[in-house]
Amino acid sequence: MGESSIIWLRVAACLYFVGLIDAIATILRRRESFFRVAAGAFSIGVMFHLVSLVEESLAIHHFPATDILASMSFCGLIVAATFLAIRWRYKDEAASLSVFIFPLVFLMTFMAALRSPIATWSSVTVRDTWLVVHIVAELLGYAALLFTSIGSVLYLIQERQLKRKVVPSIYRMLPPLGTLDDLILKSLSAGFVFITAGLIIAIVWAFIEHGTRWIGNSEITLSFVTWGVYLALVFFRVSAGWRGRKAAILSLVALAFCGITLAAHAGLQNRLL
Amino acid sequence: MKLLLTGLSHKTAPVQLREKLAISEALLPRALQELQKLGATEAVVLSTCNRVEFAVSTSDDVEPGPVLDQFLVDWQIPRAAFDGHLYRFEARDAIQHIFRVASSLDSMVVGEPQILGQMKAAYNAAKTEGSVGGILETVLTRAFSAAKRVRSETGIGHMAVSVSYAAVELARRIFGSLNGQKVLIIGSGKMGELAAKHLRRSGANKIFVTNRTHARAEEMARLFDGRAIEYTAFPAMLHEIDIVIASSGAPHFILNRDEMQRVISQRKNKPMFLIDIAVPRNIDPAVNEIDGVFLYDVDDLAGVVNANLKEREKQAGQAEAIIVEEVELMMARLRIEGVTPTIVNLQEQLEEIRAGEVARALRRMQGLTPEQAQQMEALIQATTRSIINKIAHGPISELRRNATEPEGDQAIEVIRKVFHLQR
Repeated sequence: MGESSIIWLRVAACLYFVGLIDAIATILRRRESFFRVAAGAFSIGVMFHLVSLVEESLAIHHFPATDILASMSFCGLIVAATFLAIRWRYKDEAASLSVFIFPLVFLMTFMAALRSPIATWSSVTVRDTWLVVHIVAELLGYAALLFTSIGSVLYLIQERQLKRKVVPSIYRMLPPLGTLDDLILKSLSAGFVFITAGLIIAIVWAFIEHGTRWIGNSEITLSFVTWGVYLALVFFRVSAGWRGRKAAILSLVALAFCGITLAAHAGLQNRLL
Repeated sequence: MKLLLTGLSHKTAPVQLREKLAISEALLPRALQELQKLGATEAVVLSTCNRVEFAVSTSDDVEPGPVLDQFLVDWQIPRAAFDGHLYRFEARDAIQHIFRVASSLDSMVVGEPQILGQMKAAYNAAKTEGSVGGILETVLTRAFSAAKRVRSETGIGHMAVSVSYAAVELARRIFGSLNGQKVLIIGSGKMGELAAKHLRRSGANKIFVTNRTHARAEEMARLFDGRAIEYTAFPAMLHEIDIVIASSGAPHFILNRDEMQRVISQRKNKPMFLIDIAVPRNIDPAVNEIDGVFLYDVDDLAGVVNANLKEREKQAGQAEAIIVEEVELMMARLRIEGVTPTIVNLQEQLEEIRAGEVARALRRMQGLTPEQAQQMEALIQATTRSIINKIAHGPISELRRNATEPEGDQAIEVIRKVFHLQR
């Protein structure tokens, strides 16, 4: 990839990162005035992304979809541009989509932007610490999701009892729906932050460690799918207010994916020197 | 010391009789003084709308029964009218009754909290008059602790037993804290007003009222410090409301499934609690099928109340076990207090013998220097004290041990006889 086109792509990734922060702020209910800044940064990011793509096309004299990373970058651009079009058409009514789109576009572009080696490990300690931070962040994310799932199941039971007019004994009284909902939202938000941070750290680690060889590895694909399910869970909860049965099922699916991913990565500690 | 309690309650007498025996707050001091004048060492009078009770303690040589009988005569209470309605409990039974009443196990609505406050007021009145200060005071203060234990160790008072409180309880199960929840009252039914009052007291202080007659809505809104909404405007603001109380006289449904589906989507599935206490019902029952909407009508709320009452009965069983345990502890404590004079008597008697014998021995000692005499006296005093302490140790331990046992009275009597002790 051309030197200047990758720089433009990295600038785009940085601008999309503002979008990711906005999505997290939305999940944590601290959005208020930040969305417009993030949407502006995102739009400028799309322009840089486009510039990068055009420049790369001119440099290699054909359309730059030669490998998975280039395709991913192009795909990210399409998603981003579509979001801008939807937003232009539906104005703020489509704003809630950003919770899903911003993190997704950022991650796709971020991966593509790391294709050329950006650095090497300055020392073994830095490399190992980086990996440990990744593991800790992911585990915290999974633990938070466990709370989300427990909360969701209890929510479902309490909701059923209230619907069916069941009066449980005082000792079997579940927490109120409001309390469970708060627990679900808080653990979900915290979990999403941890798991996203963990994934970004992992991508950087993998690029430095293995270049692009790791892409397509089934363990890694599983991690991305898990993150995608988590993202979907967050999106449906925040934008559509999913509660009860649907939320419980989706959180259990996400938990299952986390479990499988964890099992698939069980040998990760062996890679520590 | 003897203890007696007599009185009547909602279980034994109708209100026409209870009101005849009732003693007003103003007359309470006079009644307490009168009981003391008649020979009661202590007296407490509990007079509430559901029960009137007199508890007295007397010294061993005074029979408490005639004291209370004479009191009723003096107060011109026609005894004949109360035959078969008055109950009478003595000693252990009286203690158990006081404990049960304080713990709300004898109340009309088992577990209601008012009775404990009323008993404390009766105790305070007696304290002010100086008519408690012995066994009755001990029993009452222990009864208050027992009631507290029953409340904290069982769920007897936790569950709502009125329709309007049931609505609050359900709202808490849905929202947790009710602080800041928005309530809309549709119509002006009395039950709706009551439910809104309880909700407001529980923290749901943003109240909106709507009515076909706007003036009536404004009037009701003033009651709750709320806002009156035009009847035609309320559907547009429904999505902002957390709790709806429908109690209008409309002959048809005023909220249907489609309408509520729209509202809940606007709320992004945030739960909503609908209380339909109108007859005929105001809200289509199919609304309860929508995710996030919880609809309760009058029968549903009554069902909750019935379930809670059954639960309270279950809890009452556990509470009775606590009361039995507490009464046993109280009885053991009283028995220990009962043998204390005997123990003191035994110690005094032995000390008297010892002091006499030591004095006689000292008189017989001659030819000793003052220093030697002093040393000798110290030795004799210490030795004899040690002897009587060792002799007394056995019977005192036995007295204390037997005092805590239900069948210990005989052993205590034997010890009294052996040592020629007074009762």
